[in-house]
Amino acid sequence: MKFDSIIIGGGLSGLVCGLRLQKAGRKCAIISSGQSAMHFSSGYFDFLDRTPDGKTTKDLKEALGNLPEEHPYSKIGKERLTGYMGSVKEFFSGCGIKLGGDPFSNGYRITPTGNFKPTWLSLEDFSLLENESVPWKKVLIANIEGFLDFNTSFIAESLESRGTACRTSVIDIEEMQRLRRNPSEMRSANIARVLDRQECADKAVSQIKQQLQDEEAVLLPAVFGLRTPEVKDRLTKAIGREVFFVATMPPSVPGIRTQMRLKEEFEASGGVFLAGDTALSPELAGSRVMSIGTVNFGDIRLEADSYVLATGSFFSKGLSATPERIVENIFGLDIISDTQRERWYDTDFFNRQNYISYGIRTDSRMRCIKEGSTVENLYAAGSVLGGSNPLYEGSGAGTAIFTAMYVADSILSSVNTTL
Amino acid sequence: MSQHGKKNVNEFDVIIIGGGITGAGTARDCALRGLDVLLIERNDIATGATGRNHGLLHSGARYAVTDQESAQECIRENMILRKVARHCVEETDGLFITLPEDDLAYQEKFAQACRSAGIGAEIIDPKEAIRMEPSVNPSIIGAVKVPDGSVDPFRLTSANITDAKLHGAKIMVYSELTGFIKDGNTVKGVRVHSHITGEDLEFYAPVTVNAGGIWGHRIAEMAGVTINMFPAKGALLIFGHRVNNVVLNRCRKPANADILVPGDTVCVIGTTSSHIPFDEVDNMKVTPDEVDLLLTEGAKLAPSLATTRILRAYAGVRPLVSADDDPSGRNISRGIVLLDHETRDGIKGFISITGGKLMTYRLMAEWTADAVCRKLGVDRKCQTMDIPLPGSKNEDIEVISKKIWGSAGTIRKATAGRHGDLTSRIPAGNRYDTSLVCECEEVSVGEVRYAMEELDVHNLVDLRRRTRVGMGTCQGELCACRAAGLISQAGNCAREGKKDLKHFLNERWKGIYPVGWGDALRESEYSQWIYTGVCGLEN
Amino acid sequence: MTEMKMQENNISENNFEQCIKCTVCTVYCPVVPVNPEYPGPKQAGPDGERLRLKKGIFFDQTLKYCLNCKRCEVACPSGVRIGDIIQAAKIRYGKSRPKLRDFMLASTDMMGGIATKVAPVVNATLKIKPVKQIMDGVLKIDHRRSFPEYSSQTFESWFRKNALRDQEKFDRHVAYFHGCYANYNYPQLGKDFVKVMNALGYGVRLLDGEKCCGVALVSNGMINQATRNARRNIKLMEGALSSCEAVLGTSSSCSFTIRDEYPHLLGVDNSSVRDRMELAVKFIYRLLESGKAKLEFRDDFKARIAYHVPCHMEKLGWGIFSARLVKMIPGVEFTMLDSNCCGIAGTYGFKKENYEVSQAIGKPLFDQIRAVDPDYVACDCETCKWQIEMSTGYKVMNPISILAAAIKGRD
Repeated sequence: MKFDSIIIGGGLSGLVCGLRLQKAGRKCAIISSGQSAMHFSSGYFDFLDRTPDGKTTKDLKEALGNLPEEHPYSKIGKERLTGYMGSVKEFFSGCGIKLGGDPFSNGYRITPTGNFKPTWLSLEDFSLLENESVPWKKVLIANIEGFLDFNTSFIAESLESRGTACRTSVIDIEEMQRLRRNPSEMRSANIARVLDRQECADKAVSQIKQQLQDEEAVLLPAVFGLRTPEVKDRLTKAIGREVFFVATMPPSVPGIRTQMRLKEEFEASGGVFLAGDTALSPELAGSRVMSIGTVNFGDIRLEADSYVLATGSFFSKGLSATPERIVENIFGLDIISDTQRERWYDTDFFNRQNYISYGIRTDSRMRCIKEGSTVENLYAAGSVLGGSNPLYEGSGAGTAIFTAMYVADSILSSVNTTL
Repeated sequence: MSQHGKKNVNEFDVIIIGGGITGAGTARDCALRGLDVLLIERNDIATGATGRNHGLLHSGARYAVTDQESAQECIRENMILRKVARHCVEETDGLFITLPEDDLAYQEKFAQACRSAGIGAEIIDPKEAIRMEPSVNPSIIGAVKVPDGSVDPFRLTSANITDAKLHGAKIMVYSELTGFIKDGNTVKGVRVHSHITGEDLEFYAPVTVNAGGIWGHRIAEMAGVTINMFPAKGALLIFGHRVNNVVLNRCRKPANADILVPGDTVCVIGTTSSHIPFDEVDNMKVTPDEVDLLLTEGAKLAPSLATTRILRAYAGVRPLVSADDDPSGRNISRGIVLLDHETRDGIKGFISITGGKLMTYRLMAEWTADAVCRKLGVDRKCQTMDIPLPGSKNEDIEVISKKIWGSAGTIRKATAGRHGDLTSRIPAGNRYDTSLVCECEEVSVGEVRYAMEELDVHNLVDLRRRTRVGMGTCQGELCACRAAGLISQAGNCAREGKKDLKHFLNERWKGIYPVGWGDALRESEYSQWIYTGVCGLEN
Repeated sequence: MTEMKMQENNISENNFEQCIKCTVCTVYCPVVPVNPEYPGPKQAGPDGERLRLKKGIFFDQTLKYCLNCKRCEVACPSGVRIGDIIQAAKIRYGKSRPKLRDFMLASTDMMGGIATKVAPVVNATLKIKPVKQIMDGVLKIDHRRSFPEYSSQTFESWFRKNALRDQEKFDRHVAYFHGCYANYNYPQLGKDFVKVMNALGYGVRLLDGEKCCGVALVSNGMINQATRNARRNIKLMEGALSSCEAVLGTSSSCSFTIRDEYPHLLGVDNSSVRDRMELAVKFIYRLLESGKAKLEFRDDFKARIAYHVPCHMEKLGWGIFSARLVKMIPGVEFTMLDSNCCGIAGTYGFKKENYEVSQAIGKPLFDQIRAVDPDYVACDCETCKWQIEMSTGYKVMNPISILAAAIKGRD
């Protein structure tokens, strides 16, 4: 089966790359081995919360100047990257996803444990705070009765320590009883399915209205709007106060929705999304990838001019670790990592973990390197890349999006030069 | 009730220092004999060597060739625990296997020694052994079946504490000994600092028992006596699920990593053995070399260990005591050491109980309580060999679950497995109480509430020891936040709750990173993204 | 430190240890949102498995609510065979013997063999209200369910009388695993398959004495029978493959069962045939793509077709082949339906206790079909066909039948 480009990995990076190529007229297939890390989204995209040397960033353009050479952002180059940043909202709105925030500076978000964390852009139904202070004097924090993956007391404690008066409450609607009978499935996505029904959302609204006193805002777990982010506006109108969603523990309702939207958009623009399939046994000739197989396709090979590796890090199985080494799983590509196992970890769970910075080595155009030489038509995007620690820096989504754009543009420009 | 006409709330018949299995067992034994008991523990119960071993219900076979006395003690206690600690014990049986590289002649000598110690050892056909335990190394050339089993040390300690409390004992966890109250050469009582309230308190009793395990060395020093103890570190690995259902041992002289024990949902290989300085006792790390050794040797017992996911690595310290006439430490006893410091050192009102092993805790407690009674001039007989522990009435999981719920799903059976007949005390009346907190080990909200209300739980790590929250495959990734929320809400202490959550995740991480590869590393990456990336708990 | 050469992979039976508790599977399970009794794929699968390995008593009877649709497996980022873990646990620990009803529903070939002989009577009887009430009351087969009709002539007997002679004129051959449905209920599918393969230059052979693939036997706990069928079928296929290029099926569930459930659930080694046993659509796609054969389509074929990917097709990852074949027909206006389970899951939806759940699961799909309003729905699975036809009134056709209708040549 022939395509112009084949992308391995159907997460944020793979989909952004696929969409950019597909919309530029290239025929793409995405091979996706299971659902992506988007399912644990915070409702926000991070770009660069702090630099590798630990400095909190505010003006992002300025921060880009101080990144090490091997950092994926440095490879994209400051000028190109700021161009991408300027157009990122447009790109996503073209995919039906509205983003909030200033692409050139960071704001803050409130996390499920009530912490304030720097972040970059918000999904449509999430709001950014300008700084670390709370914009409300009084808030109501409501949870769905019996929902354990969201804890109002954690958030209340944190807001109160910043001088905001908090009241907590629970919403208990009849239609939730059925779900609650199940001891393990009182989860965000299942709750959201119930609340997607208009009559259930209405009941939730009327309870919140009853509970409200003189609070300026209502903080709710992000269990609304599995299909569409517009639910937030409807809630706000119906309640008559500011509604502020806070992410829950996984799975992430806004993440699932965003993933589904990007996939739909990709398919609607003519892309082929092979779900639940795993790429394997690539065929290389000289410095080029000629074709790739998949578990489900068997002897039917997938062929393309260019290939993109967007397989993610350990979680998504782009990388794996044995006791002795870090391995890239499909091509056996060159890896940036430490050889001594002791170096992989910090003994404190919350400190910078070196293993998270490991990933594949690329040239300046994000082309992969195998046994020291560049594979000419194999590019990499997203967290399979080495050279940065996306968790420590808070640069996961930014890296996924912009390396994908850069790779797509590299592919497009190489097509144009050869034509 | 007091033997000596109690005057004040801070006066007891006996004070026991240490909430390990020995202290807990001694507290229960003394309380059953009607003594007024105080137990102080600087941490939670079962935090030392008690909770850091194989959880093996020794048949005694391991000691049969080298130490007949220990072997006899073990088999006697083994049989008693099956009776009185039913919900803490699993009767799995054990195999002592001979590999081609081992001397088969040892097997006969071994079986003989077992029989003379009263251990039912039966030499069986290797083929029969493979049928009995399919995970065993298929190249075995010999196998002896023995009555080994597994025992859950947390459950056992908690049951002893519960019964001690039911019989009037006062249990103070997170209460650290700061000094002894002495009158000349007599220990009159203890000074205690409470880490919960921040108070400094004094308690008095005619007899004080040092049951501090390896920390007993320092406790003795505080009382002005010397015990020659040698901290021996033993590292172990926990695998993600049960590979074996029968305990596997090597039939040879005891050595490294030669026991694989199935315990609850996991199995454990161990141990290594190395002497460590006292200053490392509170912060032990498992080294890569130890991990590699455990795996290499473990795979000889059950080859599938080479490809089985490892959950974590941990290490305990055996409180080894050298004989009094040998301060060099070369002549180390693994037997029970009961020291009456009055006769030994001239310090009155002070007893140390140390050495021994998890298996013989009840016997150690019996000897200690006997000594306490002698000192108090009380004539009460030990009853712990006959009276079942709370939760251990003679019923199995299915009978218990059926009685309480009629038809029970997996979650309820899992709860019944952990709490035995005390399960009926666990709230399950409404749909919130039956919701799951820990999905790997199937711990419900009701069980968490019960542990918080009745089992002296002060934080997530304590909760883990009582309920197995966070002991499963995810090592706290899903349940830690839920449980922290419940604890915070119950105690109205969200700030501490979040700190506790961080502490718990770090405690889990400490055991994970030594085996951080494969799916364990994938799982850690996921956890770290959730708790730092999404939650920002690092701030 | 020297290399241990250990722990390169974590391998366990059904690889449940690879589960890292990410909860993704719970999002895509079609049963969880509609049936609170079902513990969900994570609990029923990898989580429960650890406890069951400790002791069999931890087996939970509610695992029976699993549809075995494998959507959890398609969603799982860790490659855990969640559905297999659940099915294997049902096989290993489920004690209850199949009821008469389950036996009847599962024994598709035996029941079919009897029914085709008296098809008009059976078909009429199965439609009578009192009969449905009795089936509902006594057998617990839901009375709201309409039964697939039985054909009065089996495909096999039609083939012997009408097609067999011509097939040997071809140089190349494929063997056809027709399955119970094409044989007893809808021989037209088999006829369509023969027409298409002949048009591609292939003669068709049958497997002499083909047994039911066993998909219904497995889900109803009749494992011994399923295993016997599996062994027999593999043996027949091995024989056929000495002279045929491939063994082809037209039912996604039969093909999935033979390729994946045989080794994973029944422990029947199919490695000698697996690579050459596939759905006809995949074989035909390969043939057309390589340019080795061509299909000539009628000029007057016009249809608006919405394609539904059956769950097992989704798991096989072959929906793209059906879609591409149908799309290539000139005159077809093609819509790809969202990936949703129809709710029938073989015999599951026939059972009285599952009827409501079954219809609730299918609702999003039915709604979408109504919204698209196609001339007909394309789908590779016969039980999806029954469910969609009964629930929406739209006609459902196998992609092979659509090809047969669209190509030139006589029927």
